[in-house]
Amino acid sequence: MTLVHNWHLGRRMEYPYFESRPKRQFAAVFNINRCIACQTCTMACKSAWTYNKGQEFMWWNNVETKPYGGYPQSWDVKTLRLIDSDNNVWYTDDKDEKLSPYGVYEGDTIFETAARKNLNQWAVGYVPEDKEWRAPNFGEDVAVSKKQDEFSTLPEHSRWFFYLQRLCNHCTYPGCLAACPRKAIYKRKEDGIVLIDQKRCRGYRKCVEQCPYKKPMYRGLTRISEKCIACYPRIEGKDPLTEGRPMETRCMAACVGQIRLQGFLDDNPKNPVTWLIRHAKVALPLYPQFGTEPNIYYIPPRWAPRSYLKQMFGPGVDEAIDKFMVPSRELLAVMSLFRMTQSIIFEYAIEQGPKVFETVIHGKKFEMFNDTVIGYGEDGKEIVRTTVEEPIHVRDPKHYNSI
Amino acid sequence: MKRSYKLVKRFGLALLSCALLSSATAVYAEETAPGVKGMSEEEFTPAKEVLTVKYVDVKKPYHMDVDSLKGSFQDATGITVPLQMQDKAFPNGGGSIQGAEVKAIHDGITIYFQITWNDPTRNAQAIAIQEYRDAVALMFPLGAVEITPAEHFSPRMGDREKPVNLWHWKSDWEADLLVKGELEDVEERYPNMHDDFNTNPYSPYYHRDLITSIAVLSGGRAADNLISRPGRGRTVEDLNAEGFGTLTTQEHQDVNGCSKFEDGAWTVIIYRSLITQDPHDVQFVPGGKTFFNMAVWNGAEQDRNGQKNISTQWHPAVLEKVAWQ
Repeated sequence: MTLVHNWHLGRRMEYPYFESRPKRQFAAVFNINRCIACQTCTMACKSAWTYNKGQEFMWWNNVETKPYGGYPQSWDVKTLRLIDSDNNVWYTDDKDEKLSPYGVYEGDTIFETAARKNLNQWAVGYVPEDKEWRAPNFGEDVAVSKKQDEFSTLPEHSRWFFYLQRLCNHCTYPGCLAACPRKAIYKRKEDGIVLIDQKRCRGYRKCVEQCPYKKPMYRGLTRISEKCIACYPRIEGKDPLTEGRPMETRCMAACVGQIRLQGFLDDNPKNPVTWLIRHAKVALPLYPQFGTEPNIYYIPPRWAPRSYLKQMFGPGVDEAIDKFMVPSRELLAVMSLFRMTQSIIFEYAIEQGPKVFETVIHGKKFEMFNDTVIGYGEDGKEIVRTTVEEPIHVRDPKHYNSI
Repeated sequence: MKRSYKLVKRFGLALLSCALLSSATAVYAEETAPGVKGMSEEEFTPAKEVLTVKYVDVKKPYHMDVDSLKGSFQDATGITVPLQMQDKAFPNGGGSIQGAEVKAIHDGITIYFQITWNDPTRNAQAIAIQEYRDAVALMFPLGAVEITPAEHFSPRMGDREKPVNLWHWKSDWEADLLVKGELEDVEERYPNMHDDFNTNPYSPYYHRDLITSIAVLSGGRAADNLISRPGRGRTVEDLNAEGFGTLTTQEHQDVNGCSKFEDGAWTVIIYRSLITQDPHDVQFVPGGKTFFNMAVWNGAEQDRNGQKNISTQWHPAVLEKVAWQ
């Protein structure tokens, strides 16, 4: 094992390979608060990549209801059990903006647990059986409920559930890549996308076993494993629609609820994805304690119990929810970029507009400005321009009833 | 006493440096690569028992199956190869099968290995995610090599610059041969599962574009992975390796085999012509000597890849001369 730095954990951790970060990392921000679980993302992915034979059970993108739902069933609870009972102990008194923005994780990762328990493999894990994959939306809309409460009020609802949108996290330290005994899995240097080489894979299912998020899947037809490919032809700008510019994946582009923004995590503070994750810290990684440094980030649901959310998204939950509930002028502007274009936005700029609204939210003053936010592509050209206040178009009275 | 003291005095330094050197090599062996533990000296020593590859005039049957070929092995003397869990390279595993009996014959044209081992369950399908196949593999050093303790040649998947040729028999490949299209499809495992792939062209549900997309949208088939390819026409895969994690399917496949599962035991016969045109293949010369090693996978115990039952030593094999030699 070598020691690599995992900024989600705020410390170095053991991993079988050396630290080798991509030039820019495929990443996305999902606003859980806005998701209506319409599964349009799920079907967009299905109809693009997994409609074929032997993939009947495969959903590279899925939306599950938390806490009871899970695809495969109880994937998260089962993996949490494998690491330890103290899998959510964090030291948060001392933080470093760059190295440990959420504090320091004191428990063991999936890799460290395997080493400590002398399991003679790289990470802990399990292979879910076919019946566990069979009902992808099992537990849909099932709420946790305390029957004595008549009403639910913020900050924590006593009757709650929320939707969790999942796809491959294209982790910086993938469990699947570590697990593969024949190095058939690789992480691309140019964009950090993790792929299974379909020629080298021999269907050992070690990736299925040791990916904590259970996103590599075994295909009985070809007897080898497959996983989300992050729509890499689109990321590479191969789709003629964007004229060669990098394009967001199918699941992102199809999002009806406008909860998704995809881009690359890099060092540019004016990159909307980087800004939301590293600077505003409003979007958090999913189960950082697994230790794989996942790259899909979530704005946590403001109504769910904080203890549950902290187990799922780490100790940054309180700060993220506080910032989301009373958004800053910049946050409101950046969030207006969600789903305004299919082209990947590499940089944003804000043109200030007039104040249009003022109120008090949970005792905090909130001011809303109708700023204009502009998104720029990789080439620096403007690709989208929108305002915080959604533009209202009033139809001419003459055409009220026309379609 | 005085003499031995003199010896120590005279050669003391040399002895001490020898001891230091050997401990240094031991430390080096411990840290060969991440996830790989060092090997012991006895693993580099081939087993004493020699397998005689008996010359038999095999009456090659029209259908190569165990029952037709079994008779030819009657006079061949087998050896018992002890097997143990694979405990060096991650992931470790295996240990459910203690040994296998190996017999070998040749007829001057083809070489046949018969491997028999006890396994209470027959696992001949790997379609469901939790199911793994029974399998057996033979391994040979590539080229004419003499394996001695002085000349280290890893009995585990070979080593860099010391390639091996592997013959990997798979139980599910044998089952594939018996079905239409020579690949057991998902319907074989899940007969009542709904799917959109109606292959009957006269059915109202037949969708030509969908059917023809199978090959394109099956990554393994599009990449021409032999494991995914329908109609392989064989049950044994011909591979090469140069150490852990380097196993690679050969471009040219030359090996075949047949099997029978009866009374809780597998009998597998693997055969190939003594000589091939492929430079990546091991070649056999009647009257010559070679080495082999083997591994067995027990599907019921989730054996696959390095999780297998292995022999930790090379086994010498000597081919009898043909009658006219």
